[in-house]
Amino acid sequence: MTEPKETRKEAGAGLIQYSTENLVPFGPIHPALKEPEYFKLYLRGETIVDVIPRIGYVHRGLEKAAEQRRWTQNTYMFERTCGICSFAHSLAYVQAVEGLTSYEIPQRALYIRLIVAELERIHSHLLWVGLLGHWAGFDTLFMWVWRDREIVLDLVEAVAGNRVHKSLATIAGVKKDIPDNMKGKILERTKHLADRAYFYKGIVDTETTLLARTRKVGILKAETAQKLCAVGPLVRAAGLARDVRADDPYAAYGDVPIDVVTRGDGDVFSLLHVRLDEIVTAANCIDYALAHMPSGPIRLKIPPNIPVGEYATHIEAPRGELFYFVKSNGTAIPERVKARTPTLANLPTALELLKGHTMADVPVVLTAIDPCFGCMDRLSFVDLDTRNQWSWTGEELRQYGIKRYFPERKT
Amino acid sequence: MTSQSDDLIRNIEGTVKGLGGEVQSSTKDAITVKLPVERLIEAVRAVTERYGLSHLSTMTGLDSGDNVEVLYHFWKGDVIASLRISVPKSITHAPSIVEAVPGAILYEMEVHDMFGVVFDGNPWMDRKLLLPDNYPSDLPPPLLKGTKSSDIRKAVGVER
Repeated sequence: MTEPKETRKEAGAGLIQYSTENLVPFGPIHPALKEPEYFKLYLRGETIVDVIPRIGYVHRGLEKAAEQRRWTQNTYMFERTCGICSFAHSLAYVQAVEGLTSYEIPQRALYIRLIVAELERIHSHLLWVGLLGHWAGFDTLFMWVWRDREIVLDLVEAVAGNRVHKSLATIAGVKKDIPDNMKGKILERTKHLADRAYFYKGIVDTETTLLARTRKVGILKAETAQKLCAVGPLVRAAGLARDVRADDPYAAYGDVPIDVVTRGDGDVFSLLHVRLDEIVTAANCIDYALAHMPSGPIRLKIPPNIPVGEYATHIEAPRGELFYFVKSNGTAIPERVKARTPTLANLPTALELLKGHTMADVPVVLTAIDPCFGCMDRLSFVDLDTRNQWSWTGEELRQYGIKRYFPERKT
Repeated sequence: MTSQSDDLIRNIEGTVKGLGGEVQSSTKDAITVKLPVERLIEAVRAVTERYGLSHLSTMTGLDSGDNVEVLYHFWKGDVIASLRISVPKSITHAPSIVEAVPGAILYEMEVHDMFGVVFDGNPWMDRKLLLPDNYPSDLPPPLLKGTKSSDIRKAVGVER
C-alpha cells in the first residue's frame, strides 16, 4: 500500500463546504472498471458522501458517424460499440431498422437470434461473476469461472465464426444458419454450463470471502431502482420483475417460455444469484429454441433504401435494457441513429449505491452494475482535512479492500 | 396485444390532447406525441404517475432544421410512449424533468452536450458528461447537422 505521495495546499480549494470531507478522484484509468471513467468521490472519514461522474473518455462519436454511413454498414459499426454484448447491439440496431420496414422476418432467423443472444448472456454473466470474485479477493472463483467462459466462447465461435464480434445479425435476417449436427454440441455444453452455475451458487452461499464482501453491500431498494430508471439484473435483484424479453417480446422470445429471475434483497449477493440463475434460464431457453426451431430461409434480400419514418425499440442485453432509436429520410443513409446502453441507465443508481459505503467497497459496488466503459489503472485521493493528495493503483485499492475485511490474511 | 396496453395508449392520447398536444403516431404498442414545451412537466407527471410508465428509457435529440427536437421515451410492459418537444435553435432552453424523473439527469446532460439544449433546473447543467474538456465553445454542438465531423476532429486535436 502506498503512503500519501504528495501534499498540495490548494487541493480542493473550491470545496469549502466539504471542509471535513475528502475528495477522491476515481479514474479515469482504473481496472475496477473495464473502460475509462472518472468518479470524484467525496469522503467524510472513510465514508463516501457524494459522487460526481465524468464519462466520455471512449466516446467515439458513433451516432455522428452513423449519419455518414449506409444502413448496412452501420450494422457492423454498432456491433463494435461493445466487445461483450456485441450481438445485442447489432440485434437492437437491425430490429430498429426492420421496424421502419414491413418485411416479415423469417422465423428461423428469429430463433437463431435468440440462441446467439442467450449464448452471449451466458458469456457476459460468467465474465461478471469471475470479475466480482477477483475484486472481492477470491481469485480461485475468477479462474474457475473464466475457464468455463472459454466453453461458451468456443460455442459462439462454432456458431458465428468469431469469438467476440459475431457479425451474425443483418437487416431482415441472420447471416449464418445453425446446422442440425451442431445442435447436440450446443445442448451438451450449455447443459454443462448450467450445472456449473448451480455449483457456483453453492460456493456463493457458503464461501466466507464472498459472503463478507457481498452480503448487505450495495443494497438497492426497488423504489430507488424505479426512480432512477435502472435496468437489467440490477433491478431484478432488487425485486422488480422487469425484463424486456418477457414484457415486450422480440426475436423468438414470444414463443419461448422465459423465467424472469428476481430476488428481494438488492445487495451484491442477490445480484450474484440473479446472474447465476439467469445462466440456467438462458441454457433452458437455448434448449427449447433448438428443439422448436422451424426450418426455412434465414434472411431476406432487401433494397438499400429504408422507408421514411422513426422507430424506437429495445432488447434485453446481458446488462439490461438496450435502447435504439432510428430515423430514416428514405435514403440508404440514416438521418439519425441513437443508442442508449444499459450502463448509462445504471450509472445514476451506481452513484447512489456508493453513498454510505467505504472506499474498500468501491470496486465491488461499481463492478456490481457490470460497468462497461474501458480500462482504468490509477486513482488519486485528496484528503481535505490534511490537504493530502495521493495515488493508488487499482491493485492497491483491491488489496486495501481485502485487508480491511480480512486483516489477518496474507496478500 | 393486451387490452391493457390498448387502454394505456387511449389514455395517453386523451391526456395529451387535453394538454394541447398532438398525437403524431399511434400503433398497438407505441405512441408518439408532440407537446408544447410549457406543458411538458405536466405530461411527464401524468404519464409516470397516473399511468405508471415510470421508466424513462432514454432521451433522444433530433436536429430538424430550425429546431432541436427532444424525445422522451417511456416504457411499461409492451408499450413505448415517446413525448416530443421542439425547441428553437435560437432559444435552446427547455424545462428539466429531473424532479419528476430523477433518472433523467444524465440523459439531459447528454442532450445538452450533443445538441446544446439547456435544461433549466438540472443541477449538473454546468458540467460536461461526454464531450472532451477541450471542445471549443465557438463550435456548435457535435450532433447538429451543420457541424462537420472534420471540424470536430480538428477542434479536439485528432485530425489525421
